[in-house]
Amino acid sequence: MYHTGSFVKGSSLFHNLDPRLKLATTVCFSVLILWVKPPLALFMGLAVLLAALVSGIRWRTIAAAFKPLLFFILLIFFVHVFFGEKDSEPLMQIPVLGWHWSPAGLREAFFVVWRFLSLIIAAVLLTMTTAPSHMIAAIKYFLRPLKLVRVPVDDIAFMISLALRFMPFLLAEKERIDIAQKARGYHLSGAGIAPRIKSFLFLTLNVLLGVFRRADELSLAMEARNYQRGPRASFTELKFVSVDYLAAILLLFSLFIFVAFNLRLS
Amino acid sequence: MIIFDDVHYRYEPEGVDALRGVSLQINDGEHLALIGPNGCGKTTLIRHLNALLLPAAGKVTIDDLHTENKKHHPEIRSRVGMVFQNPDSQIVGMTVEEDVAFCPENMRLPTAEIKQRVAESLDRVGIPELAGRNVENLSGGEKRLVAIAGVLAMRPRYIALDEPTAFLDPAAAKRILNIIDQLHAEGVGIIHITHNITEAALTQRIVVLNEGRVNLAGSVKEIFAQIGMLKQIGMPLPQITELMLKMQASGLPVRTDIIDLEDALEQIRLLAEKSKD
Repeated sequence: MYHTGSFVKGSSLFHNLDPRLKLATTVCFSVLILWVKPPLALFMGLAVLLAALVSGIRWRTIAAAFKPLLFFILLIFFVHVFFGEKDSEPLMQIPVLGWHWSPAGLREAFFVVWRFLSLIIAAVLLTMTTAPSHMIAAIKYFLRPLKLVRVPVDDIAFMISLALRFMPFLLAEKERIDIAQKARGYHLSGAGIAPRIKSFLFLTLNVLLGVFRRADELSLAMEARNYQRGPRASFTELKFVSVDYLAAILLLFSLFIFVAFNLRLS
Repeated sequence: MIIFDDVHYRYEPEGVDALRGVSLQINDGEHLALIGPNGCGKTTLIRHLNALLLPAAGKVTIDDLHTENKKHHPEIRSRVGMVFQNPDSQIVGMTVEEDVAFCPENMRLPTAEIKQRVAESLDRVGIPELAGRNVENLSGGEKRLVAIAGVLAMRPRYIALDEPTAFLDPAAAKRILNIIDQLHAEGVGIIHITHNITEAALTQRIVVLNEGRVNLAGSVKEIFAQIGMLKQIGMPLPQITELMLKMQASGLPVRTDIIDLEDALEQIRLLAEKSKD
């Protein structure tokens, strides 16, 4: 199962780029793809898809990232088809409701969904080619100026890393309770809504109890291992090397070209 | 040297005392086993070693540093490493090397030194090949080794281990025991909680806790000379000792302070020779 944060080791160009550059590029990409005109959005989406494939990310993994969002993707699509642009002749009309769709609405829906999917691919590319520790080091780097206004940047970065570390624990805890219930003959197949709600509440409560118990043990262990709030040293060392400088120049150049083209298309 | 001076502790104001006047001295580089039935206060006692718990009465001193002085806590925690019973509660990093680096990061050491300590600690426990592995993909035995490596990265003078071989298969348990022996040989003081008397017999001194008090403390021979008391507090004895006890109970003149097979065979051999005569 794919979930964000599933870093896979590799030796592609994207794996080797500085995480700060990757994070900054992803943020810029996310803003830009929502802003640029459709032809440029199409090009940017294809570019990020190509980058993901070149980095060794499989189609299956990309599809798995889309799967949990399929409902929203379809919802966005149909909302734009039926309630979007209406500047051309309707192709078909739904009786009673009076909704109709047109080529303009279809085009609009396609591009909105395309932008959304491109954002997901960019997120997959970032998380699958960047080790979580590097990502956190990059976040910490960008948050550093906030230290001037006394924001506890080190604590925030550490909290993010703990949250990422214990995400699998939540899933494991849910599985554990599920199996324990089944082992004692508890099955929901054919059950009505009320037993399902009850089971969901029971599961949620038990997962939460497990999480609190674990958090308690963890805080004790952290204390035993000399953790104190505030600045910490770092095992992860970020170094901007020549390939990063080259990539940064190329990306800046591309950004300039995109903005110029977009203004021209406007 | 670690000194417990008449230490009392209770978890809740209205509850019972988990420790009731424990006085104990642990020497530099000593290998000490802490045994006793469930709920006797073993874990409570070792949590006083690095100031996770503070005595309600009495005093705990680590190399002249008093645990009640909060300013001493970082130094105390670098001197006494703690390996918890459940390694999953202790591991905070996402990869093995990130977890081992946690303590040196907290000590705010330069990155080069952190890396050096991580490599050195993983070498000491014999798992350098696991450095980049995700901790979620490790076996129970490997997680224990990571937990020990994580503590070693602080270069502690003492290590307290809470049942380090619990739930491990014999091969993994032996590996952990060998590492503990090796650390002891390197001069690290070891405080080893165990329910396994055979494991306790491998140490220099055994302390028997019962109902929050030190019932017995002494060398392996001294403790096994008091076998009746161990049975009385419900400590499971090694099978070989149980056999000698049963032989003695059936009227055979054998010693019962025996914990290994060779000594038992020697006793049986002597018995056979006597019966020949």
